[in-house]
Amino acid sequence: MSFQRQVSRALDDEHRASLDLLGRVESAFARTGRARMAGDAGLARLAGELAGQLEQEIGRHFDFEERELFPRLADAGEGGIAALLTEEHAAIRAVAAEALPLARAASAATLDAAGWDALKRATFELVERQVAHIQKETMALLPMLEDLLDEDADRELAFAHASG
Amino acid sequence: MKEAAAGKSSLTPIFPAMAGSRLLRPSIPFRFFGAAVIFHVGAWIALFIGADATPRFAGGLGWPLVVLHFVTLGVLAMSAIGASLQLLPVATRRSVGSERWPAAIWWLYTPGVAMTALGMGTGAVTALAAGAVAVVAALGIYAALLARNLVGAKGMPVVVAHGWAALASLAIVLATALALAGAYAGAPTLDRATVIGLHVVFAAYGFMGMLALGLSYILVPMYALSAAPAERPAWASFALAVLALLLAGAAALDFAPVALRTAAAAAGLASVALHLHLMTTALRTGMRRHLGRSFTLVRVAWAMLVASLLLALALVFDAPVDGLATSFGVVVIGGWLLTFLLGILQRIVPFLASMHAGQVGTRGRGLPPTPSALTAARPLAIHFACHLAALALLALAVAVDSALAIRAAAALGTAGALAFGAFFAAAMRRMRRPQAPAGTAAMPGS
Repeated sequence: MSFQRQVSRALDDEHRASLDLLGRVESAFARTGRARMAGDAGLARLAGELAGQLEQEIGRHFDFEERELFPRLADAGEGGIAALLTEEHAAIRAVAAEALPLARAASAATLDAAGWDALKRATFELVERQVAHIQKETMALLPMLEDLLDEDADRELAFAHASG
Repeated sequence: MKEAAAGKSSLTPIFPAMAGSRLLRPSIPFRFFGAAVIFHVGAWIALFIGADATPRFAGGLGWPLVVLHFVTLGVLAMSAIGASLQLLPVATRRSVGSERWPAAIWWLYTPGVAMTALGMGTGAVTALAAGAVAVVAALGIYAALLARNLVGAKGMPVVVAHGWAALASLAIVLATALALAGAYAGAPTLDRATVIGLHVVFAAYGFMGMLALGLSYILVPMYALSAAPAERPAWASFALAVLALLLAGAAALDFAPVALRTAAAAAGLASVALHLHLMTTALRTGMRRHLGRSFTLVRVAWAMLVASLLLALALVFDAPVDGLATSFGVVVIGGWLLTFLLGILQRIVPFLASMHAGQVGTRGRGLPPTPSALTAARPLAIHFACHLAALALLALAVAVDSALAIRAAAALGTAGALAFGAFFAAAMRRMRRPQAPAGTAAMPGS
């Protein structure tokens, strides 16, 4: 999909950045044996990046969508899609809440073997939920914004998003 | 998310009021997919029954014709209706409107297909004619819904253009279907060879083919998480495909048939080359590159699409190969369209099911299940092996004119179709029931 509205492009960029990081963490977990996870400096660094994203980016991105965009979607008769995306936000937040302390501990090299297993499992789940969620937003939410927003509304929302 | 905390889907009270939404109730697309799963099993069983007549099948009533229509009407068109009713509104940014019409289509179409096939298999012309009327009426309603959705579509113009081409092809398919059924009922209207020529080309490459190519511009980038395919080559591919259909249609009407069919195959190959370039670019550059067995099937199907056009050329030049026409049918219907559909369906079903699943919880956390938690991997692995082996054996059986090998292929195909049915049933069951308390998220794309 290619988007004309600033806010659609900004959200699409954030989706891609999020997937890029999650993909790198997922790949690192997939190629690192269980016994080597604890001592892997690259994995610890990625876990730190993941913690940063879980802590700041996901909440900011989701809050913006729920506050500014989903009500517009519902007003346009797509309340079902807005409710579905809101539910998925809740699920992703819940998995992120599980993963965050583990990622922090991994980054600080204080995570035990069971913790690494839990982090790996949570990361894989996070990846799958984020991929499926972003697929839906890319197909349903962002194209809809192209119709719903005029230039002024787009500019205002892009500003609100950038300063959020 | 109070509803989520309460472990209850907030979607539940919303769906009944979703008449204007692009998101259909799950029962709409899934009833079509479920019927397709059953007709898929039926097709392989019918092949077993009609094994003796299959290797050199050259048209006419009988079990090979049942197989052909179980697959084309029962599996391919059935799934295409379900998928397009859910996917095209997303692409066009227009809702389907009332859900009563899609439901009515299913109730008319499903028994119509069964009755048509029964008539073809047993030679009961009245059943065939009655079934054909029901099928044509149902597809006519579907065509009207599709046209209404495409009129004033706002997004994805290249997908919309494919939709219009599929719709125009469907009109030709329906007209020729009525002519063929009328001829069996003792009311011939047009030259049979002309009608069959138009019917085959516009059903396989026109209606189903253009829908498959068009919906691929939505589905492949979506699953690969890639950028949208470049528009100019997509339009060029579309124009060449339409040109190929027009040339093949003119050839069926007996205008310079060899020259026009050759040109049609060449235009088709050029169109497919551009399309596959765009699709493989999306898969190569997307953020999800490992899409598992489902996309292995899709890649096999793409290879079979190319092979079908080469076989069409061989038919045009009357290549001295026994069973060439039947081989063409196996490759274009089984190899290209059916394999493509089964690959895509195993992605769409858990994806849609996860959207509609109640928040019944994974690991007791009150979260909706992931698509992988709704995917039964083992049945899909069995289906993958059985389907590909069955198709290979079927092609071999036609080449060596062996009814025994056809039966072996049918047995393998039936096993694969049953395994696919188990996958579908598991997805439906898991969509409605609590999930197993386990770390259910597999490697995405597995």
